[in-house]
Order: sequence, then C-alpha cells, then structure tokens
Amino acid sequence: MSPELLEIVVWIVKVHVIFLGMVGVAAITTLAERKVSAWMQYRHGPNRVGPQGLLQPLADGVKFIFKESLVPDGANKWMFRFAPALAAAPAMLTVAVIPFGPDVTLFGITTPFSIVDLDIGLMYILAIGGLSVYGVIVGGWASNSKYSLLGGLRASAQMVSYELSMILAILSVVAISGSLDLREVVMQQKTLGEWNILYQPLAFLLFLIAAFAETNRHPFDFAECEPELVSGFHTEYSAMRFALFALGEYCAMIVMSSVAVALWFGGFSVPFLPEAHWALGIVAFCAKVSCFLFLFLWVRWTLPRFRFDQLMNLGWKVMLPIALVNLFITGAVISFAPQLKSLWNGLVNGAS
Amino acid sequence: MAEILFYVLSAAALLFGLGVVLAKSPMMSVLSLLGSFFCLAVIYLLAGFQFLAAAQILVYAGAILVLFLFVIMLLNLGELGAIAERSNSFLDSTAARIGAVIAVGMGVVGLAAASRAAFQPVRVEPGKGLDGLEAIATELFGRYSLAFEAASILLLATMVAVIALAKRQRRGLKNGGRA
Repeated sequence: MSPELLEIVVWIVKVHVIFLGMVGVAAITTLAERKVSAWMQYRHGPNRVGPQGLLQPLADGVKFIFKESLVPDGANKWMFRFAPALAAAPAMLTVAVIPFGPDVTLFGITTPFSIVDLDIGLMYILAIGGLSVYGVIVGGWASNSKYSLLGGLRASAQMVSYELSMILAILSVVAISGSLDLREVVMQQKTLGEWNILYQPLAFLLFLIAAFAETNRHPFDFAECEPELVSGFHTEYSAMRFALFALGEYCAMIVMSSVAVALWFGGFSVPFLPEAHWALGIVAFCAKVSCFLFLFLWVRWTLPRFRFDQLMNLGWKVMLPIALVNLFITGAVISFAPQLKSLWNGLVNGAS
Repeated sequence: MAEILFYVLSAAALLFGLGVVLAKSPMMSVLSLLGSFFCLAVIYLLAGFQFLAAAQILVYAGAILVLFLFVIMLLNLGELGAIAERSNSFLDSTAARIGAVIAVGMGVVGLAAASRAAFQPVRVEPGKGLDGLEAIATELFGRYSLAFEAASILLLATMVAVIALAKRQRRGLKNGGRA
C-alpha cells in the first residue's frame, strides 16, 4: 500500500472510531442522566431493558425512529425540518479537533489519536460550536408557537452573553500556553504541577459556568424551562427530530468537558506517570471527561433554575468584568515576568 | 479543483446575498446572510487563511447574526410585505433595497481603495496557520495599532451614544405618561 493511501485509510478509521465513539458516549450519557437522577431521588431508574437497564438507549432509539414525526400546520416546513440538523451538526463537527489521546501505535502505524490537529483548534471549536444556537433559534422560530419562539429568543440572548466570558476565559489559558492547538496545550501539561488549573483557576470557574449556559443545561436551561415554556424551543418536535436536539445537547456536553480537560486538567496526561502507555492516556482522558459529565448531571438534579434576569446580570455584570480583569492580570504577569522574577530574587536575597 | 470550488462558492455567496435583499421574511434574510458568510469563510480557507475563516464565522455568524436574530424575534417582525405595499409597489422597494446595497458596497470599496492608497497593504504569508496569525497580530498591534485603537474607540462611542439615546427616550416616555 502506498503511503498516501495508507494515510487516507488510517484517517477514515480514526474518523469512524472517534465519531461513533462520541455518539455512543452521548447515548450512554442519556442513560446515565436517568440513572443518576434516580439515584439522587432514591428510585431505581430504567431497569427493564437489558441487564440493569443498560440497553435502554437502544430501546429509546428504536422508539424515536418509529414514532410519528409531526410538522405543525402553521410551521415553516423547510426550516422546521432543517433546524434539528443545524442543532446537532456543530457539536459533532467540533469533536474533530479534540485530542483524545497521545500518539497511538497499532499494527506498526503511529498516528495521533484525534481526527485532525489544527493550528487554530480552539478558534475552530469556538467558531463552529457557537453555531449550535442557530438550531435552537431556527427551530423555535419555525415552529410558529409562542412557547418555541420564547425559547429560541432566550437561547439567543443567553448564548451571546456567555460566549464572551467563555472566550475570554479560554484566552487566559491561550495566553500562558501560547498556542491555539489543543494538542500543544495538552503537551505542556505533562505532570500534575504543570496543569493549568493551578495557574488559571478563576478562568476555569468562568469557563465552567459559561459551558453550562452554552450547552443550555441546568441551572441555565431557559430555552426549555418546563414550568414556563412547556418545553421551549422543542415543544413542537417529536420522534427523530427531537432526538437530534437531544443528541446535539449531549455531544456539546462531551465537547465542553473535553475542552475543559484539555485546557485545565492535562488532557490525556496521566498523573504521576509522565511516560505512560498510550492506552493509559486514552483511559485517563475518558476518566477525566466522565467526571465532568457527572458534574453536569449532578448539577442538573441538585440546583434550582435561575431567573432569566439573574442569568443576564450574572453574565454581563459579574462574569464579563471578572474575565476581563483575569485576562488583563494574566497578560501583565506574562509581560513583566522577567522584572517580577528579578524583584522576587532581590527580595529573597535581601531577606537572607 | 480549488478554482472550480472558488467559482461555485462565489456564485453561492452572491446568490445568498441576493436572498438577503429579496427574501420577504426578515428571518430568511438573516439566514441567507449566514449562508453568504459561510461561503466567504470557505473562500478564505481556500486561500489558506485559516484564522481569518475562523474569525469570520466566530464574529459574524456566531455573534453578530445571533444578535440580529434576537432583535428580529424580539420585535416579532412579520413579513416585509406590508412595508413594501406602503411604498407604491414591491418592485420599487426591491429596487430601492438593491440600490442601497450597491451604494453601501461602492462606499466600502471606495473606502478600501482610499485606505489602500493611504497605507501600504499588509503582506501576510497565506497557508501557514498560526504563523499567518502571528503576522496579522504583529501588523495589527504594531504598524496599525493607532487605526486599530481608533476603530475600537469609535465602536465604544457608538455604544455609549445608543445607550444614552435609549435612556433619554425612556425618561421622556415616563414624563410624558404622567402629563
């Protein structure tokens, strides 16, 4: 086999492994959501399909496929059909640049375990990931129902507000690592002491809050918000189209968790084992992402929902100023690092 | 291959642009604009400017158009037919809209030409990813830092002015309501 052909084959295999893996994890997360909620509410949760209810996502999938897919009479037919794809596609596209593991060696072929390593990987995630709001907005508008419209309206306001804080928080990490390439950022955090969470804890907190808002999860799920809006932008959706919205949300959760792990928690590096085997690296990455996914579920079934004006106040009057100050301080420390160091040395020498 | 793609994308961008001015519902106008921005971003990619493409989508598609959509949905603008009827005929208003777009376009081109004459164009090596980004950053914050800062101050001034106007209007309304 010629090298070019081999490269294409490896690439196709990687795309399938990573993409199917993510859809599989998204399906498992839906089960985990129900199991965790049951555990927190002292119930059993789904336990009839398969051992301990493990095949529930499969049964749900079959149900979604065979349900009738309604299109409301007054809806904009084409946009109504287009919106679910618009909601699910961006989250699935962003997975392409996430470094799930170090260089993998299988059958004598060595290749990095990510679909593609872009120089501007983080920009790509922010740009494409930001588009998922269109699915919500277009879906809410095309349904021609007041609840859906209000849901879409809320989603658009919320996403614009929190995207700013999120970008500023990520920029603080980019400033100290000097790269927009996720793999490059991960490679700089080989040992526990180099994890960015130690240097940018505030940025991480801001990112985490913004990630909850960006993925429309509790306590910021105003686009759905059952007590006020029936179920918000997807009130009129049923069957597979509804499932695509859900899939988009869970994929976005996975991507956000992966970005948090890669930027702040050392990505695929294994604590205390800097030269670990690549398989261990992938396991470490998956374990770290699982912790974050659990956090998403934990928060959803623990915290009450905000009020919408509180959400806006938090986004614009608290998080944005903090993120700006954090970025400013980070920039100042980087710019004046040599001076600060000599000042510190002078103080230490003067004291001794 | 790249050449064919370029022509296809340019044609698509122009068609979407026509959609922006011809669409009856403002929602479809904005979605056409989104399509047009996307075609432009892919053209940037073809030229090797990864960063510019990502910035185009991030800023225009991700933020500004969402804001447009927000305003359209908040005001619940219906079809533009009613406005078109008021101004004689649909054809007239369409012509006016196309005219306005052409005028703005000419203005932008004129401005670009003028600034090109005033400053020397930035030379950025395409296709180098972050190296290109570094070059853009060096130019933007080096030679053009004054123009860059001036633009940001202009935006800030506009924002303050809009807030001031909105506040005054609200206060006026309150007083008017009492009287």
